[in-house]
Amino acid sequence: MARSQAAPPDDPALRERFEREVLPLLPNLYSAALRMTRNPADAEDLVQETYLRAYRGFSGFEEGTNLRAWMYRILTNTFINSYRKKQREPVTVQEDDLDEWYLYDKLGESGVEPSAEAEVIRSMPDEDVQRALEALPEGFRLAVLLADVEGFSYKEIAEILGIPIGTVMSRLHRGRRALEKALWERVRERGLVSD
Amino acid sequence: MCPIDCRQVLTQIELYLDGELDVSLHAEVHEHIGTCGNCADRSEFQRRLKAMLRAKCGCDEVPADLLQRVHALLQETPPTPL
Repeated sequence: MARSQAAPPDDPALRERFEREVLPLLPNLYSAALRMTRNPADAEDLVQETYLRAYRGFSGFEEGTNLRAWMYRILTNTFINSYRKKQREPVTVQEDDLDEWYLYDKLGESGVEPSAEAEVIRSMPDEDVQRALEALPEGFRLAVLLADVEGFSYKEIAEILGIPIGTVMSRLHRGRRALEKALWERVRERGLVSD
Repeated sequence: MCPIDCRQVLTQIELYLDGELDVSLHAEVHEHIGTCGNCADRSEFQRRLKAMLRAKCGCDEVPADLLQRVHALLQETPPTPL
């Protein structure tokens, strides 16, 4: 009879390998979970649930395949299935005014020299940037998070999210423009440039 | 074949910085950026923006109790009988 849930690894070598290769991913997974849930308590529960599922399924993990992407797929699926329903989605982004080079051009229009533009962004508090990312609609947020924060390729993101590569590219492109708009609003609120 | 111009380069910057262009187009964009100040400034800005996002959104301190919870999970989860 088929078991409804896979067993955790009974093999000490497998357990040791899990500890050696999967535990070091925890800090990155926790950051990603925070950006997904926007809430430390939910992020902790999400990471714990992810580790439990990964541990139970680890004996079925194929050695030589992408362990990081496998873990992020479990994280993302757990988030989508268990946590998303609790959350209220932010207001849909107005996309018609999301120009290419939005932030670069806005900073330029404010008189910031090209060489100093990146410095303005770097001077923003971490929390401002985190809130701007967290405020993006989920599809955009996950794409930007996986590409820019976690450094996954388009192909890996497509596999993690279970969507076509073309959809990854579209969400990433639109998500980045929306994020630039949100960052620009925070730059202005902080008075980091003169109007 | 004509070298690609600024307009074409700027539409490819995102894929270029993501490392998603094929080798020949990547080389063309790279070469253009090396000689064009405007495209170089825009490319460098986007590159730094990506790096900043990674630095500011991916380095949260892990709560000590979460580490303990995950370690405990590995120790306490009983093997399910086959």
